[in-house]
Amino acid sequence: MTARTDESTNALHPSASVEARLAALEVAHQQALREIAELKGRDTLKTQFLANISHDLRTPLTAIITHAEILREGILGELSTRQHESIAGIISGGRRLLEMVGEILTYARGAANQLEIAPTEVAVGDVIEQVRRLNESLVARKELCLEIRVASDVPRVIADREKLAHILGNLLGNAIDFTPAGGRVWIRASRQHEEDRDTVLVEVGDSGIGIAADHHELIFQEFAQVDASASRQHHGTGLGLTIARRLVELHGGRIWLESELGHGSRFFFTIPTQHQA
Amino acid sequence: MTKEDTRPLVLIVDDSPHVTGPLRILFEETGRRVVVAASIVSAVRACETERPDLMLLDVSLPDGDGLSVLEILHGTRALPPVTVALTGHDDDLTVQRCRAAGCRDVLLKPVPVRDLLRHAAEWIPERVVSA
Repeated sequence: MTARTDESTNALHPSASVEARLAALEVAHQQALREIAELKGRDTLKTQFLANISHDLRTPLTAIITHAEILREGILGELSTRQHESIAGIISGGRRLLEMVGEILTYARGAANQLEIAPTEVAVGDVIEQVRRLNESLVARKELCLEIRVASDVPRVIADREKLAHILGNLLGNAIDFTPAGGRVWIRASRQHEEDRDTVLVEVGDSGIGIAADHHELIFQEFAQVDASASRQHHGTGLGLTIARRLVELHGGRIWLESELGHGSRFFFTIPTQHQA
Repeated sequence: MTKEDTRPLVLIVDDSPHVTGPLRILFEETGRRVVVAASIVSAVRACETERPDLMLLDVSLPDGDGLSVLEILHGTRALPPVTVALTGHDDDLTVQRCRAAGCRDVLLKPVPVRDLLRHAAEWIPERVVSA
């Protein structure tokens, strides 16, 4: 924001007349409205830029990954063991980069209110199982103990299956990322009744490094990682929890955490059994 | 007199060589022929003249919505027996739109090569493969 003019500042001084002070206040108010409109315009441009650039980044990445997979499959001739290793590195790096670009695209669409959900009847346990399978190699690599517990009375929910998987994937990914080798990670789902409606409560917990109380709100803000060393040790865009919160809220649910530094984290979110339009 | 080429024909509709380049290699090296179109107009013409067995269709083309190709060819003999949407958008609305337009499958780029090869065997009609 630019500084107010000396004239308006002086006019706001108690020694100025009431009329002069009211006029100055009006000038300052109009100036503030103009600045807010300008900042909103810039924010929209930034969001659109993010959406465009992430979409455009996907295309050359697609070429890199597909060419590498053609080589890996031996379609252009057999490869040596070392060549296989090298190609595998290109593919896994490329796919990781693609995930991050996708995350930025989802964030940009959310920020521009362009995210929509297509609700259908979904069994939460099936989505948890899908996400577990996707992460089992990471869990095994870190020798983590992953426990899944879905209560027998958990009802089906009206939700967007793909976006529900996205929420769970982001939370489980963080839990795996921030838990040292040999630790525990869990997902639990139970039936809840809150504010006169039925919901399914999902908990994604870990025995990892934990989060200090004064960072509990910060971590849901875009691009936030609680400290620079964390962002160096743990890859990611810093958008996962922002996106998870937006997707939960799009379903009419809420998300929160309980955590203490050094004592693991428990993230909770609710999904109403009936979609809240 | 030259012998007619009976290998299945795949039409790839995408305006980016980053996409068409590797797909051409993949299909040609696995016993298919490939034609590439980079716009709605050229895709419609290719369908009319080449009669592809499979069309891989990008939904976003320089001259408009890629799904228009299906709309234009609807009810004609030039409509390929199988069309699969290859898209960079994985949102549910895009998927629903592609299916409603008549796409057999909707695949997010980059489709894993193993999946693409497996699917291709399902998409291309048996009579053509055995011809």
